[in-house]
Amino acid sequence: MTETTAHSHRLSRWLFNPFRFIAGFKALLLGLVIILISASIGSVSNTHFDGVLDVHTGIEAPLWLFFAEGLINWICMVIPLFFFGLIVSRSSFRMIDVFGTQALARWPYIIIVVVMLPDANRRVIEYLMSKLIQNAPAIEVNSIDVLVFVFAMILSILMVIWMVALMYQAYVVSCNIKGTRAVITFIISLIGAEVLSKFAILSLLSRTFFFD
Amino acid sequence: MKVLPAICPSCNSQLNVKSLVCERCQTEIQGRYELPLPARLSTEDQSFILEFIKASGSLKKMAGLLGLSYPTVRNRLDEIIEHIKLTEKSGKDSREKKL
Repeated sequence: MTETTAHSHRLSRWLFNPFRFIAGFKALLLGLVIILISASIGSVSNTHFDGVLDVHTGIEAPLWLFFAEGLINWICMVIPLFFFGLIVSRSSFRMIDVFGTQALARWPYIIIVVVMLPDANRRVIEYLMSKLIQNAPAIEVNSIDVLVFVFAMILSILMVIWMVALMYQAYVVSCNIKGTRAVITFIISLIGAEVLSKFAILSLLSRTFFFD
Repeated sequence: MKVLPAICPSCNSQLNVKSLVCERCQTEIQGRYELPLPARLSTEDQSFILEFIKASGSLKKMAGLLGLSYPTVRNRLDEIIEHIKLTEKSGKDSREKKL
């Protein structure tokens, strides 16, 4: 293997399976920082992660709510994976590795909140909403706005896919589960986590906005 | 020194030792001897086990030495344990067949 090939091999491992190199407390700390940073940037463009697989822009909210969304998504994913790990894995594993690697797997969140920053996204969303609502004030958008919005949407979808791939790798490495058992238990966990997080975040949003 | 082959390149079966030679007096012993279990493992597995022993059996130390995460090293060890169990079982089965 040449030096360049070895370098690109290592780089792809870092991108698609960083848990080969980082886990435990280090991953947990980094993951929490990532959740905090994405919440802070997300609060600027009102980008909400209102479910494990959801990205939506909209309601203006306090910073703590963005952070809470990130934490709820993470916890909702970790709990079923941890219990499946206890049932399915043949080897012993550490709880800190499951929690840490799942937190670190959320780093594509940062790219999503960054591409959602330009004001063009908000203008296009408001324009689309005005088309749906009758008697709404007319909003003008130009072709650059549309281009920025389409780019942000495509990149966001790719980042969510990437995040799911990372969450799967994190599960495989931290619980040492392979093959069909890993795929099936991961899919069940993901669906369960999506439902659970959606419900938890919606109830948090309704408590924040309707009972305040 | 050449690496001791453990698996037959023709049929993928376990290789055995047929003769042993004393380098000093050239005495040669002929027979059929099974390779000890550690010698039947791959070179990578053997060096991992040696490093693991040198690290006093600490997975944390091993992870630091290899620049890998703790679960990656633990998974590697689990793979080797699984491999050893299979090798032991197949050795036992083939001995029972011969009897």
